[in-house]
Amino acid sequence: MSIRVAAVADIHLSEAQRGTYRERLDGIEERADVLLVGGDLTRHGTLGEGKIVADEFRGLPVPVVFVLGNHDYHSDVEQEIMAVLREAGCVVLDDSAETLLDGRLGIAGGKGFGGGFAGKSASEFGEPETKAFVRHTREIAERWRTALKSLDTEYKVVLSHYSPVKETLAGEPPEIYPFLGSYLLAEAVDAEGADLIVHGHAHHGTEKGMTPGGIRVRNVALPVLQRAYATYCLDAEEC
Amino acid sequence: MDTPHYVAARVQQAIAEDGRTNELGIRVDVRGDHLFLRGQVAGEDQVHLLTDVAREAAPGLTVHNEVTCVEVREPGEEEHL
Repeated sequence: MSIRVAAVADIHLSEAQRGTYRERLDGIEERADVLLVGGDLTRHGTLGEGKIVADEFRGLPVPVVFVLGNHDYHSDVEQEIMAVLREAGCVVLDDSAETLLDGRLGIAGGKGFGGGFAGKSASEFGEPETKAFVRHTREIAERWRTALKSLDTEYKVVLSHYSPVKETLAGEPPEIYPFLGSYLLAEAVDAEGADLIVHGHAHHGTEKGMTPGGIRVRNVALPVLQRAYATYCLDAEEC
Repeated sequence: MDTPHYVAARVQQAIAEDGRTNELGIRVDVRGDHLFLRGQVAGEDQVHLLTDVAREAAPGLTVHNEVTCVEVREPGEEEHL
């Protein structure tokens, strides 16, 4: 049986959007079975902004799954933001996995990070700052493998903020690709298998791409979609 | 007078790091005494704050703010995978 996944990212809510975002989600239960939100939920990563996000998504008729983005880390209260989102009844992935829809849909993921793409990426070599940058991504990718391994569901979807492939970055300046994603994320998902990877972060990028292993990748950053959310139906034969 | 190249870089950095804006995707170009901002942001209030931050980072230049808000349409058709 098919599952319809709604997804959006980079909604960047702040005080100016309080009470106004929710109407974009009206009727979502008729279009989708679950809503994934791929990070950069806030502008400045403050707890106040996190509470606005929680209020706008609280009590939706479909399950909501978040990951945070780099903006949501800016004020060093990312754990507190995750807590208010969970208190609002939403799932927050932090290099972890969750099973939804009576065990039919598994979602794994987290913020992700950068480093670049195969052949043009940074290495764990040289100064400690460079090593730490690359290690952060490598350790995230390892945790994603573990998270995906833990899922035994009909469908598996990965939710990230940073991109696993460069195809969905087309439109961004190539010089900044290493700050937009890493091939290590795609490599981890290709190794464990998934039906779809959803990410944001690249506002000037392109919606559709694919991993080297053939897993569909969708950049759902709001400026890319220019619509309230995208909807993907898994198992096309039944859609 | 500063080299336009560095003025543009300074303004772009200010827009990214200033707590009023924290916008990473704004393009900044300087031509003579004129400074141009291009890109998209989430809200109308953010557009005006970009002008404020750019003026403070590059006093003496005329700021032309061509930044627009992201248009958000109805969800539309689903894609079958």
